[in-house]
Amino acid sequence: MLTLAILSPLLGALILAFATGLHERGARMLAVAVSAVPLVLLVAVWIGFDAGPGAPQFQAVAEVPWVPSLDVAWRVGVDGMSLALALMSALLFLGSIAWPAETRGRPRAYYAWFLFLEGVSLGLFLVLDLLLFYVFFDLSLVGMYFLIGRWGHGEAERAALKFFIYTLAGSLAFLLAILGLVLASPQGLTFDMRVLIDMQPLTGTGLYASLVLLGFLVGFAIKTPLFPFHTWLPSAHVDAPGPASAILAGVLLKMGTYGMVRIPFSMMTETFAAYALPLGIVAVISILWGAIVAFGQGNLKRRIAYTSVNHMGYTVLGIAAAGALVSGEAAARELALTGAVVEMIAHGLITGALFLIAGAFWQRGETYDLDAYGGLAATAPRLTGATVLAAFASLGLPGLAGFVAEFQIFAGTFAIYPWLAGIGLIGILITAALFLTMLQQLFFGPLPPRWSKLPDLGRTEGAVLAVLLVLVVVIGVYPAWLLTVIDSASAVIVGAG
Amino acid sequence: MLWTLALLPALIGAGVIFAGAGRSRVVLGLLGGGTMAATLALAVAAVSGGWTGVLPWNEALRLTAALTPLSAAVALLVPVIALPILVYASAHEHRPGLSQLIGLLLVFVGGMELLVIADDLLTLLIGWELVGACSWALIGHDWRVRDNPRSGLYAFVVTRFGDLGLFAAAMALYAGTGGFGYDRLADLEGPLLHVAAFGVLLSAAAKSGQVPFAPWLFRAMAGPTSVSALLHAATMVAAGAYLLARLQPELSAAAGWSGTVIGIGLATALTGGVVACLQPHAKKLLAASTSAHYGLMFVAVGAGYPAVAVLHLIAHAAFKALLFLAAGSAGEQAETFALHRLGMGRVLPVMAVLSAVGALALAGVPPLGAAFTKEAVVTAAGHLSPWLAGGVMVAGGLSAAYAARFHLLAYGRSREAPEAPPQPWTERAAAGALALLTLGLSVLWLPGLRPDTPHAPLWEVVVSVLLIGLGLLVGTVLARRYPKAGTTGAPAEAAEWLGLPALLRHGIARPFERLSAFAGTVDDRVIDALPRLVARLGRWLAGFIGRGDRRVVDAGVRATARFGEWLAGVGDRIGEAVSDGLPEGTARLVAFSGADARRLQTGMSHHYYALLAGGAVLVIVTIIALS
Repeated sequence: MLTLAILSPLLGALILAFATGLHERGARMLAVAVSAVPLVLLVAVWIGFDAGPGAPQFQAVAEVPWVPSLDVAWRVGVDGMSLALALMSALLFLGSIAWPAETRGRPRAYYAWFLFLEGVSLGLFLVLDLLLFYVFFDLSLVGMYFLIGRWGHGEAERAALKFFIYTLAGSLAFLLAILGLVLASPQGLTFDMRVLIDMQPLTGTGLYASLVLLGFLVGFAIKTPLFPFHTWLPSAHVDAPGPASAILAGVLLKMGTYGMVRIPFSMMTETFAAYALPLGIVAVISILWGAIVAFGQGNLKRRIAYTSVNHMGYTVLGIAAAGALVSGEAAARELALTGAVVEMIAHGLITGALFLIAGAFWQRGETYDLDAYGGLAATAPRLTGATVLAAFASLGLPGLAGFVAEFQIFAGTFAIYPWLAGIGLIGILITAALFLTMLQQLFFGPLPPRWSKLPDLGRTEGAVLAVLLVLVVVIGVYPAWLLTVIDSASAVIVGAG
Repeated sequence: MLWTLALLPALIGAGVIFAGAGRSRVVLGLLGGGTMAATLALAVAAVSGGWTGVLPWNEALRLTAALTPLSAAVALLVPVIALPILVYASAHEHRPGLSQLIGLLLVFVGGMELLVIADDLLTLLIGWELVGACSWALIGHDWRVRDNPRSGLYAFVVTRFGDLGLFAAAMALYAGTGGFGYDRLADLEGPLLHVAAFGVLLSAAAKSGQVPFAPWLFRAMAGPTSVSALLHAATMVAAGAYLLARLQPELSAAAGWSGTVIGIGLATALTGGVVACLQPHAKKLLAASTSAHYGLMFVAVGAGYPAVAVLHLIAHAAFKALLFLAAGSAGEQAETFALHRLGMGRVLPVMAVLSAVGALALAGVPPLGAAFTKEAVVTAAGHLSPWLAGGVMVAGGLSAAYAARFHLLAYGRSREAPEAPPQPWTERAAAGALALLTLGLSVLWLPGLRPDTPHAPLWEVVVSVLLIGLGLLVGTVLARRYPKAGTTGAPAEAAEWLGLPALLRHGIARPFERLSAFAGTVDDRVIDALPRLVARLGRWLAGFIGRGDRRVVDAGVRATARFGEWLAGVGDRIGEAVSDGLPEGTARLVAFSGADARRLQTGMSHHYYALLAGGAVLVIVTIIALS
């Protein structure tokens, strides 16, 4: 089932690559249809998922040997965390592919790269083999590189290259860390994540273990991104097409935080715990720095991009708090980890929606300059409504998904690192200010004459945003269905330590 | 079941926002008023039936709702006050956007009811911030004027700063007890109790417009009249004082808490009184008086009498909503809220009478109910110290002064009756209902109906009444002799909350904007410099190697060839199926990507491909060598 979810978009990409007869409309229909397949499959897995106590951690597992001598195999399986992330990714991919795009006369290539990216992204969340994880981690760069470089605007090629080199440097660090971890295993070589989690190949804070952990953390910190490794993000976003931005922020950034929980957190718990505080401090710096810099941005996309640094900072703060082995605080650590995972989901949906909206602005006005807009509430009420809702969700308004995540992160973290949680709280004040000023500049005040004919959201755009935002509201009001599944994972992950 | 109390107005409000465009004023008025009547009926049923509500999110997070006598009183009060205000809004406020306004007001009431019925800090926080978000939308309702959304933003950011206190309180409660229920506050001790107590106080002070947060109430005056009326009387601003009263038994265990509450309250009551006496803008005068009266409620809570605070909250809600409606009607006729240009006594004679009722209540003139509740605050304060009681009396005197000033300027007979557009009767009816309520609360004085409040010594009553009389006199003199007071010079500066907004602007907002701009520059120039440097180094290195010894490269080629042979051997071992499918598929994919790469024409991308492939090879080789 999971294998099929990974392979179907890849297969779709191949078909698109070779089906020379397909034109814009056909390519689009095919891509939308194919990208709906993993979503359906993952929903089926979700329905069959057993989140009760005593259920196995990884479910829907499948394994096909590949390189037995290295114990590398095609292993797939999900726990509550990866299932939720994969499902959110599949939904966001469907929405981004369905989003009306300017394909510059190369629709097949555009949709093929999108499907390719979907396959490898889902692969990353679904595999249980470290080597495959690395391969998918790197391949996701390739897909995104082409989407930005070929279909971006402005200095797209430069931005794509910077993104590629920077994150490739991160994956190199990650690669060395994988080697370090796998070679340290006392009972023979294996890339099986489940075995590595059970085995805990590296413990303590010796130089070797610390370096391996540093490799993982730097690799993932670049991808996430955390301060000070975040400068590739704004430039990549600004020049990327809207749907690619949505995927970059909504799915690709999560690979860093997901990897952090799945690999160093779970496989070298003791070492991770020893360095949890410095990680938490970096997270708080990211929260504040991202928010402060975002506030000063006059470019719509750069502003949203920097808020990603802020939000991913919340996620990492939750992860750091959950990873600290403070005795007697297991419930708080579980709460922090659940919060971090919900933040990944919420940020994917909300920021995905915001970047799609930014794309809509580009398609209509060819500029991201906030000062150029104003008064649009008069001509585009649907666009206004969707943006207001997404912005409030992003600033963590209760009743919307972001709050459920941030509240849990802060409540859980406070029990572990009270000062970090207290300082991090300032982030939610600054994000409130920066999103409200953004709304004010875009939608309120007098309407400049040049925008008097600005079209409102079209049917497809409206439908995609409606699905994402309805989910944001549902998670915000009644998240129990989601929390049950995620809790089943975070209880095991935290309890395993 | 109790959730319906919040859900009903919120859902109907959302429906009106989405589907109410273009409906007539009558329909909107009936919808708004009818929903409030239904909410009131629900509230009565909930109070008499002892309803509760539980909604578990997961093990740690459970939303709970319950009513105590205090919260039941406020839950009933909210729809009672909101009903006439919604009727007034449907008749008075301008189109377009009237349906959005009515819908938002209903959601606003829903949020308020949620925070009133909340029985834990999480539920409270949800209602608390929803009310804040509604206030943002309501204050910026007329968004075509750029200043209005700015004022909404100001209000939201200032009150959200206070909300951080509530976040902190919830965090501390969870850290100390593993849950968020109000009942757990009693188990809290030490620093965590202090965080919780002062966190709640911070958010209550910000919501209730106490110093130093008071200026947001002035900015909130950018909203339509009905918004101001609801905001000040029964929602949002009332939330702060209500919360303190609700949690006083638990939080007063924190050392220094009660004293701080009293300090904040008394400081606001006195400064707010002075500001209101000088304010030349009718709605801002009432806004300053709102801060001052919530200050009095804070004093009552700090003195240990939360029930007295809630009594005054109820009385205040009735007369303050009435006064705002009166100010709105006068301002509508004059097309300005400048007090010295109102004088609508002849134009709106009925409203003038109703306004007088509200002003007398604001002044605290017996036998109105508001006088009873204010005197109860005096007595409560007197139980702690006669000096504190004296402070409250002075605040009461100031209240009498600005009440007189407001009424005489807004509804004085200083102008000839001009040709005026007729006032809808519904406006008068709404204000009339509130005036009846204000008068009806006089029953509080009746011996049989007297609530159980502390008894006042005689001297307090005498001094208090004297000060009220003096205040009325001063207010009359101010209004008659100096109708333009506060429009120029030092009084004008003092009228703007004694310079507090300027202090906030230059002390916090401006420095933060500069910090943000500076951080943006640092981010671009300094933090991004390292990767740029590395990139330049890489380019230089590539050039260097390109010029370098060909033999190295040759060796590399030979090694690659050998590696290829070895790989072929490995390929054999893996098996036919894989070795057939993989290269073919890969080749096609590579060709496909190659085409794209060429189009990019960066001339460098193949290097990174090499790097990527090299990485994968490196893993395999190293592992084989070391295992």
